Amino acid sequence: MAAPAGPRPGWSRRAQYGLFFAFLAAIAGIIVGLVLLALSVVSPKSYQAVRGAALDVMAPVTVAFSDVSATVSGLASGAGAYWDAADQNAALKAQNTRLRQQILTANAVIQENRQLKATLRLREELREAVAAGRIVGSSFQSPRRFAILSVGTSDGVTVGMPVRAAAGLVGRVIDAGANASRVLLVSDRANVVPARILRGGIPVISTGRGDGTVDIRPLEVGRNPFKRGDIIVTSGTGGLYPPLVPVARVIRLDDDGAIGIPLADPSEASFALVERPFEPAAGADLPAEAR
Amino acid sequence: MVRAALAGRKVGREPVPLATLVPAASVVAASALAVLPIVSASGWWPNLGLLMLLGWRMLRADAWPAWWAAPLGLVNDLLTGAPVGMSMALWTALMLAMDIIDRRTQWRDYWIEWLVAALLLAFAAWVEARVAALNGAPPLLTSTVPAAAIEILLFPLAAYAAMRIDRWRLGR
Repeated sequence: MAAPAGPRPGWSRRAQYGLFFAFLAAIAGIIVGLVLLALSVVSPKSYQAVRGAALDVMAPVTVAFSDVSATVSGLASGAGAYWDAADQNAALKAQNTRLRQQILTANAVIQENRQLKATLRLREELREAVAAGRIVGSSFQSPRRFAILSVGTSDGVTVGMPVRAAAGLVGRVIDAGANASRVLLVSDRANVVPARILRGGIPVISTGRGDGTVDIRPLEVGRNPFKRGDIIVTSGTGGLYPPLVPVARVIRLDDDGAIGIPLADPSEASFALVERPFEPAAGADLPAEAR
Repeated sequence: MVRAALAGRKVGREPVPLATLVPAASVVAASALAVLPIVSASGWWPNLGLLMLLGWRMLRADAWPAWWAAPLGLVNDLLTGAPVGMSMALWTALMLAMDIIDRRTQWRDYWIEWLVAALLLAFAAWVEARVAALNGAPPLLTSTVPAAAIEILLFPLAAYAAMRIDRWRLGR
């Protein structure tokens, strides 16, 4: 097809001036955009109010749609529970018995742990969650891995708080509006979680890869200490994430590290707890919160 | 009988009220699709606002003045959580690039439009990856290339949507 009627002003002086000023405005728009972008990169904190307000505008719609889709998918998965129900039932009963025995062992270990800590006169504070919300949305168009959480500053959430689900660590809060906040997931490239392998306590660092998996590297040089199926838990180093929160499970080995998949799946419709930073006094080198 | 009486409502329609704002409103609506409750682990969904922007610009050069791309980009940044200013600068630059291409080409068909849109979308994906790297999160090629390919392949859908919305708003 022919080129569309471009902005050809013709002989009209008014149209020529109009076109000239339109181009000037476009150049000004580019310059303003570059300045704002430079501010975004250099000092992310300056946009927190604006980003929080934008979250407050969009989050109610997201929460409403997410409720609808949770109901619909609940109906679908509920129907699946009736398929081959007798076999599912038997398998679940066997798993239940095994897990009960493991719980008994775990309870005994917890008791022993308490007695040992009392003997050493270690004092620990009880940690309770600041707020509980649901992951309702995400940044599905962007190379960054953010998630939208349905609780905000009106529920006590502030920027920098760690977020965990029952299955494992989800991430940390980077933007907080009044009713919703944005969470940087553990699988984002900029999220570094100090961790250790549960089997053996070897210290490792878990960095996101941006595609839903994490890259786990050991802190000590030597033989590759990972095995497929290893569970990685937080170590409490750095003062942000509380220790012994499951982070990921190793799925394959790399040359000197491993690739893991986070245990907390953000697309599950389960609750996410926002907690206070574990040890704020150790937070002198906390990462820039709005990244 | 008069032929117009037989054709029903399809003849003699006027442009809808506020027809000059409909293209920009459709780009804002496409950006606002970011509020959908989609939790994605890989981020391979296309930039819907950018696709509608390019779809409209390929269709008509007078959909909006070139400088409207800056406020449209600002709205897109706020709705998708991107660094504020990235879409502003990028979309305005893409509009100026399209103006230059319009002046240099006399005739283009659907394939050339798709090719030009593919180049512009690849440039936009590259800019997004560089800005993410500046913010401390350099994306892997296995994340950006499939996302850009999906965007490029979905461009004809955006062009079709722009064409249908244009026919509706002009009453044709």
